[in-house]
Amino acid sequence: MYTTQKKMVIPFEIQTEITILRPSIHARRANLVVKFQDLYGFTVEGNVDDVNILNEVREKVREQGKAWWAMEANKGANWYFHTYASSIALTSSLRFSVLVNAMTLKKLIRKGIPPSLRPKVWFSLSGAAKKKSTVPDSYYDDLTGAVSDKITPATKQIDHDLPRTFPGHPWLDTPAGHAAVRRVLVGYSFRDSDVGYCQGLNYVAAMLLLVMKTEEEAFWMLAVLLENVLVSDCYTDNLSGCHVEQRVFKDLLTKKCPRLSTHLETMGFDVSLVATEWFLCLFSKSLPSETTMRVWDVLFYEGAKVLFNVALAIFKMKEEELLMTHSVGDVIKIIQDTTHHLFDPDELLTVAFDKLNFMTTNLSKQRKKQETVVMAELDQRLRRLNTSKLRVNG
Amino acid sequence: MGCSSSLPDRSPGRVGGLNPDNGGDSDAKNLRVKLVLLGDSGVGKSCIVLRFVRGQFDPTSKVTVGASFLSQTIALQDSTTVKFEIWDTAGQERYAALAPLYYRGAAVGVIVYDITNPDSFHKAQYWVKELQKHGSPDIVLALVGNKADLQEKREVSVQAGIEYAEKNGMFFIETSAKTADNINQLFEEIAKRLPRPSPS
Repeated sequence: MYTTQKKMVIPFEIQTEITILRPSIHARRANLVVKFQDLYGFTVEGNVDDVNILNEVREKVREQGKAWWAMEANKGANWYFHTYASSIALTSSLRFSVLVNAMTLKKLIRKGIPPSLRPKVWFSLSGAAKKKSTVPDSYYDDLTGAVSDKITPATKQIDHDLPRTFPGHPWLDTPAGHAAVRRVLVGYSFRDSDVGYCQGLNYVAAMLLLVMKTEEEAFWMLAVLLENVLVSDCYTDNLSGCHVEQRVFKDLLTKKCPRLSTHLETMGFDVSLVATEWFLCLFSKSLPSETTMRVWDVLFYEGAKVLFNVALAIFKMKEEELLMTHSVGDVIKIIQDTTHHLFDPDELLTVAFDKLNFMTTNLSKQRKKQETVVMAELDQRLRRLNTSKLRVNG
Repeated sequence: MGCSSSLPDRSPGRVGGLNPDNGGDSDAKNLRVKLVLLGDSGVGKSCIVLRFVRGQFDPTSKVTVGASFLSQTIALQDSTTVKFEIWDTAGQERYAALAPLYYRGAAVGVIVYDITNPDSFHKAQYWVKELQKHGSPDIVLALVGNKADLQEKREVSVQAGIEYAEKNGMFFIETSAKTADNINQLFEEIAKRLPRPSPS
C-alpha cells in the first residue's frame, strides 16, 4: 500500500489489540488504574473501562475502514483526491456529482480515516503532495544531508528535547526514533529559519512520523502544516500567531458559553493557561493518540478552525462541572482529567462538529482584529523590558 | 521517600473552594499560595516539581509547552498547612512573553538555574529582574541552583549564587531533583517566609 516509498519505512506497527501491561484480577472490581498500550503504542493509564472503550474504538476503526474501502471499490483508488481537487477548481460551476462526493468525503473524514489509509489520505488532501511536487525529488535527502553536522541554537534545543519527547514509546524513544525525529526537525529548522525550532513541534513531528511511516512524508506534512494549514507565525520568534489564536478562542468561548466565560474570568482563569499547549502541540500532548489523530484527520482537510471546534468542545462538555469550580486549580484539574481520558474520539468530535455550530463567526476578520492587539502588546512588553534593563544597568 | 513532610492533596484542613481569588491567603492556619517556576530550558524545573509533588525523579520528563500545573500541600511544624499551586513554565526563549500570565498574582517566584551551565545563571538574573519589576510587590523570591549532584561539572560557584541572592533579597538554595537533596527544604523554607495573614 505505502511500501513503495524509497525512504526508510518506520518499523512501527499499529497495535492490533489493546493489551493491559499490568493485568490484575482485582482491577475490574476495584476500578483500579491499569497501564496499557494504545493503538499507537503509547503507554497510558486508565481504568478497565478505558481499556474497553479503546477496544471498542479499535472495532469502530475497523468498521470505518470497510466504508473507505467500499468507496475506493466504487469510485476508484484516489477518489478523495479527485473530489478535493475538483471542488477547489470548480467553485463557480460545481457539478452535482462533485458536490455529493465532497459532502461524502467531509462526512467520512469527520467519522475518521482508518489508520492504514491515513498516510495516503493526509498526504494528498493536506496539500503536502503538491508541495513536495514543486521541488526536485532529492530535496529532503539533500537538505538533511547538507545540515546534519551544523550546530545552531535550534539544533541544540532539538538534541536536548529528543529524549524528552515521548519517553517510553517503543519506537520514538529508541536511537532510531530519536534520529528520525531529529532529521525532520533539524531539516525543517533550516527550511524556515524564522521558525527554526519551537518546543511543541517535537511532539507534532513525532506523531507525524508514527502515522506517515516515512521521514520524508512526515517532513512534508510538517511543512504544509506550518506553511498552509495553520495561521502564520504560530511557532516563530514570539509565537504571535499563537497569541492571536488564543484571543480569538477566548472571544469564541465568551460568545458560545457566556456564563462559563464570566465564571472563569471572575476566578482569574485565562483560557491560554490550558489552550497554549493545545494549539502548539495540536492536542498531541493532551488527548489520547487515536483521538488526536481523529482531530488531525479533520484539521488537514478543513483547516485551522478545527482547533477552535475541539477546544470549545472540551469546555462545553464540562460546562456544568466547570461552573461549580472555585479556583483556577480546580478548573485545570477538570480539564486535564477530561482530555487525558477522552479515549472515545466520537465523544469529542460529535460535540465539536455536530452540537456546536459556531462557524457563523468570520474567523479571518476576528484574527485581523486580534493581530493588531497582540502586536501592540508584544511590542509594549519588549519596550518595557528594555527600559527596565537600562534602569538596572544604569 | 522524597516528600516525607508532604500531605496528600486532600488534607482535612484544606480550604480549597472558600477563597475565590486566585492565589490569595486562606486563613492563618491554612494558606493557599500561587507559585511560579521560571528559568532556562532544561535546568530541571519540571523535575523539581515532580520530585516535590510525586516524590519521584523522572529522568525523562516531557518537554513543557506553555506551562503545566500541579499542587501539593505541606504541613509545617507549627501545624499550619500550605497548599502550593505550582505553575511550571516552558523554558524556551520564545515562551517568555507568556510568563506574565503565570506570574500574575503569584505569591512566590522560584527561579531555577543549572549549576553546570553559566548561561542558565545569566538567564535566571533576567527573570529576577522581570519579577522584581512586574511581579506582585510582596512576592517571595527564591533562587535555586539545581543539578547539585553534578559537582564535577559545576561551573557556577555556590558563592556566586549566594552573593546574587543576597544582593537581591532572595532566598538561595542548591538542590538536586535527582537525589531529592534539598527539594523539600526548598518548599519548607519558602513556606516559612510567606507573609501570614493576621488571625481574625
